[in-house]
Amino acid sequence: MKTFLSDINDALIMLGSLENDLAINNFKPNEKKVFYTIVILQESSGHPCNISDVVEHSGLSRSSVYKTLKKLVSGNIIEFEQSRDDKREFLIKFC
Amino acid sequence: MKYFLSVSATSFTFSFTLWIIWSYFLMQANLNPSWDGSLIYLPHAARVLCLVYFGYKSIPALYLAEISGPLVFGSVIPDPQMLFLAMVSVLSVPFALFVLSIMGFSLGHTRQSPLNKRNYRHIALIVMVSAMFNALLVNLVLAEFDVNYFGKTADVIQVARFFVGDILGAATVIVVLAVTFRPLISRPKGNSD
Repeated sequence: MKTFLSDINDALIMLGSLENDLAINNFKPNEKKVFYTIVILQESSGHPCNISDVVEHSGLSRSSVYKTLKKLVSGNIIEFEQSRDDKREFLIKFC
Repeated sequence: MKYFLSVSATSFTFSFTLWIIWSYFLMQANLNPSWDGSLIYLPHAARVLCLVYFGYKSIPALYLAEISGPLVFGSVIPDPQMLFLAMVSVLSVPFALFVLSIMGFSLGHTRQSPLNKRNYRHIALIVMVSAMFNALLVNLVLAEFDVNYFGKTADVIQVARFFVGDILGAATVIVVLAVTFRPLISRPKGNSD
């Protein structure tokens, strides 16, 4: 049984190394949730989402989402771009 | 014996589940599971991952899952050729591992191992080599038997579809597994050889 668990452990380490290269390994669960929400929103709609979309779909508070987005920007994972339609709106794009 | 049962149960469940998901999406797209090759064949991931991590003991369960899918969900009673083709598909991975081992890339789980099962790039290499063998050998057998499943004979397009389908399918499953499992597991740093 010990061997079986060590085999599973090897597989999880391999999956972990993949996530390391995606550069999201050091994020907390909430931060990962924001990241995955952005990915899902962009993939489903085909265009960049805005901050309100992320707040609505992640189920997190606006302040948590803002804080997390700042961290993702500082990690050069995402960047903000001013919307052409509405100058007050910022769209989230992957770097 | 306990290890063999654990490996068999895990391999069968994993492979069979992927087959169900794959066939469900094919049905959603109004396509029938057929031998002309899907462009995203998810069960190849089960073949590779189970054989890499559990070894040759997972072969019987993988073979059983391979023939159970069409039998249970497609109501297709496998003929002797289908049974043989399923065996060739499953054995494409150990064959790839054997060829890589002959070339000096033996499987291990440390950084010194030429093929490190803890490194996803090495897993990707095994996926590609085994997909190549699967595409070539299965279509070779199809052509040799002169089998004509669903009105489609083996040709170079089908070889390419098998090859690409296995790679894309395995890549999809591995990325989904990485995204699904890692947030649930906190691992101390410095534990990734």
